[in-house]
Formats: sequence, C-alpha cells, structure tokens
Amino acid sequence: MNNSLSAAPSRKQAPLWLWPLLWGALLLISVVAMAAAEPLFRWIEPDARQVVYARADFYVLLGRHLLVVSVAAVVTILLGVLAGVLVTRQRGGDFLPLVAQLASLGQTFPPVAVLALAVPALGFGTLPIIVALILYGLLPIVRNTLTGLQGVDSDIKTAAHAMGMTPMQTLRQVELPLAAPVILAGVRTSVTINIATAALGATVGASNLGDPIIAGIVNGNMAYVVQGALTIALLALSVDSLFEVLQRQLRSHLSS
Amino acid sequence: MIELAHVSKRFGDEAAVDDISLHVPKGKFCALVGTSGCGKSTTLRMINRLIEHSEGDIILDGQAIEAYDPVKLRRRIGYVIQHTGLFPHWTVARNIGLVPRLLKWSAAEVQARVEELMNLLGLSEGEFGHKYPHQLSGGQAQRVGVARALAADPDILLMDEPFGALDPITREKLQDELARIQAKMHKTVVFVTHDMDEALKLADHLVVMRAGRIVQQGSPLALLQHPIDPFVESLLGGLERGLKQASLTRVKDHMTSMGQALPAQSRIPADFSLRQALSMMLRDHCDRLTVVDSHDVPVGELSLRRIIKEAQLDKGSVRE
Repeated sequence: MNNSLSAAPSRKQAPLWLWPLLWGALLLISVVAMAAAEPLFRWIEPDARQVVYARADFYVLLGRHLLVVSVAAVVTILLGVLAGVLVTRQRGGDFLPLVAQLASLGQTFPPVAVLALAVPALGFGTLPIIVALILYGLLPIVRNTLTGLQGVDSDIKTAAHAMGMTPMQTLRQVELPLAAPVILAGVRTSVTINIATAALGATVGASNLGDPIIAGIVNGNMAYVVQGALTIALLALSVDSLFEVLQRQLRSHLSS
Repeated sequence: MIELAHVSKRFGDEAAVDDISLHVPKGKFCALVGTSGCGKSTTLRMINRLIEHSEGDIILDGQAIEAYDPVKLRRRIGYVIQHTGLFPHWTVARNIGLVPRLLKWSAAEVQARVEELMNLLGLSEGEFGHKYPHQLSGGQAQRVGVARALAADPDILLMDEPFGALDPITREKLQDELARIQAKMHKTVVFVTHDMDEALKLADHLVVMRAGRIVQQGSPLALLQHPIDPFVESLLGGLERGLKQASLTRVKDHMTSMGQALPAQSRIPADFSLRQALSMMLRDHCDRLTVVDSHDVPVGELSLRRIIKEAQLDKGSVRE
C-alpha cells in the first residue's frame, strides 16, 4: 500500500476492506484445512509420527485465543481509558505521573514473570493469562489516552467551558471524539501485541493457539510450531488490518 | 448591566487585577485596552466566572455573580476568543447551534436560529452550513465564532481580542459588521483589545488598563481630548491623536449650509469622517468641500476653517 503524499491523487488507494478480507480468508483456510497441507509439513518433519497438530481442532483453538484476547482487551480499554481520563481531570492531576509510571511498569514486567506470579494466586487456566495480558496491554492505551486528551487544543476546551458545557459534556462531546484517533492507535498496538503474547497461556494450561507451539517445542516437532505460529501471525495481521480500516474511517469522519 | 466594584484577582502574592471599578450600562459597548499582561483578559474572564475573583463584587442584572450557577451563567453570556475555539469535528451549523442545544431547544428552533445567524453574519447556509472549521478562512471562522456566541440571544457578549489574528482588511470588515450588529441588537458588550483604533471605532466607553489597574475611563472623545497621563496619550497615538479624534466625528455634524460662493469641486458624502475630509483636502489642495447625501445631491459644505474652529470649541467644552 502506498500512502505517501507523492502518490498522484488519481491513483486509487487499495479498496478499504481488501487487506482484512485477504488476511481473514487466509486465516480461515488455515484453521479449517490445516490437515490438507500435510505433505508440506511432512517435508519439514519427515520422521515424526504425526505432522499436523490434532489434539484439538484449530478453529476451537482460534476461538479460545480470540476469547482470551477480547476479554483482556475489553478490560484493558476500560481501565486504560478510565485511568487516562481521570488523571487528566483537574482533581486527578496529582496522580498523572503515578499512573504513567505504573502503566510503563506493567510493560517492562515480562508476561512470563506475571504468569509465574499469577499461577500460585489464581491457579492454572485462563485467568492468569488474562491478568498478564491486561497488565501488558495497559501501557499503550493509557499512554495514548493521555497523549490524545492532552493534545486537544486548549482554546477548544476553553470555548467549551465558556459556552456553558459541563465537564462531562466537554469530555464526551469534545475531548474524547478529538482524542479518539490517538486512543484507537493505542488500542491497536495493545491488541496486536497481546494476540502474540496470549500464546504464553498454553504454558499454564490455558488452551489456545499457543498449544501447538508448546507441544512442538516439548516434542521436538517443528511442524507443530510452524502451524501455531502461522495461525497466530495470520490472526494478528487480520485484526491489525481491521484496525487500519477503523482508523481510516474515523479519520475521514473527523476531517471530511 | 455589568457592575464591577473594587474587584481584585490575586494569583499567590501577585495581583493580576487590582481594585478596579467599572460600570457597563445595558446595551453599551465597553472596550478594555492596554498592553499585554495588564489584566484586561483576566477582567473579562471574571465576568463569566472562568476565573473566580478574589475580592470585590461583580454584579450582573442586580445580582452578584456568585449567586448564579456558573454553568447556567455562562450559557447566557456570549463569549468570543481570538482563535475561535470552534470544535473541529463539528460542522459550522452544529458549532453555531451549541448553546441552544445545551439549553434544550427543539431541533427545529435550533435550525431556524442557526440559519438566522448565518444570514446575519453573511454566511450562506447552503454553502457553509455543512463545512468543517478547517475548511474556512480566518475571517469566516471568526464569523462563525461570533454567530456561536450570539446563538442563544444572550444580553451580554464578552469578546477577547476576537479580531487579533486576522489580516487588516478582514479585521476592518468584521469590525464594521460588529458595529452594524451592535447597532441593531444593543448587546451589553465587553471587548478586550490592544488595538486602540479598534477600540476607538467600536466603543461607547473606553477603559485603559495598566498593571492590573484602570488608568483612565470615559468616552473615546473625552479620552482623546484629555488623556490623563503620557501613557494614555501614547496609547492614543501621541501626535496622531488629532486625526483619531477627527475619525470619530462625522462630516454631517460639522457642515454648514451652502454658501453664496461657487460650490467646491471636491465632494464628500455626509456620513464620512472629518479625518477622511481632511485627507481629501490635502489630496485635492483645497480648503472647502461640497457635502453630498447618499444620492450625490449637495446638502452643505465643509471648510478647513470650520473644522479647526470646531476642534477649539470642543477642547473648551468637553470634560470627562
């Protein structure tokens, strides 16, 4: 895709939905028809007893993977945006540095370490990986919410205040819509990173697309690893290109 | 009506506004003039409680402003700022309809009011209603800013250097338009500017501020004739004061009826200023002009002698 300014205006941009449809289709094909590619995987692992991961169907693993990432994303967005909004209010200003630091701490803390600490407290399964994803995904959202809200022109905020908008009206009708593109960019980063990070869940018994990878490493079966990695990559690309479409639509809505 | 009595605003130990008293009668246009940092914007913002004053009383329509709910108070006071503060994600029409919608007018009422205001400010609804602020020129954007301030028909209009960022030609056009609107609507206006010509042109009451205090206030003519100190005098243009005074005086107030002598060659419309008359005399090397009405029919004459004599008379008679 060519987004550069030098592109002639007559040259058409790729159709809006091209990339999400393309990546989505590839993802669908790979989870439904992984077995059809058996000869290819046989070539990678000629000696293995089995070359296509079969302990669970790939579409089931994909469903669980998506569920974990979505639950984590919803919680992260709610927490992150709320924290960003609160500390940019007049009364919450004292907590701004603290929140910014906590959020970056969340990201410097490796998810593996979070898992190791979370399992004794929360047990094996899906919960510890969701907690790890929330902590890990918080920073981009908090940081972008702060940047977006602080980037709203002070004249615009003064005008809203002076026209008699309440703080809540200003936030909902002026600040959040104007900060939305930046916040959405943060959500995009957070979700895309977490699609990959969620694979770690397989190590603590949360069954998802990480399963084939872990099984492949344990059994020395590279074909499994490739299958897991390929599906995760296609999922990440599909979701990322979907965000691209969302962002483009938001931008054209804001400035058309 | 706006009344400020011994109002001060302190930030820490520093007084941004220091014991000022000011009375703006209903329907009058009051300009606050001074160099930057003199407290004129702070004074303005205390009136709609964007800034709370520290001491003294600010009274609107007979009631202290602390008695009003700040949000409701602001909805009944129009406010215009230099960089418009228009919402970039809203269309022009939606921006103008902001306060009426906050006041829960019906959609039809808002629509009708928006159209009325766009007509008043010379913006065609069809052409501009659906545009976004970034598609407007500076002058057009500020027209929208003024329309937004007038939308809920407030009695009071506060303007903080509204035309300061515009080029001179656009600025003058908007000043003329504001004068025309004010002649029709009689809002109580408080107008902050550092441009003395702008203040002289628009104001009924002129307030000169320095370092948080009012140095002098009165009618523009009174200040021009009797500036209280060298600071006010220099703000008023020093040696140019005479011409500024002449620009505030209409030809029709000083013309005499047609004399016996032949009418002068040069003609000047009766509603032009004495300043323009003087300029015309210099240009045409004459000391008499024929005054004409809007249909170019001679109605009187104006002589240089007469202008100078009038100026002398004024000097003796007008006191602040």
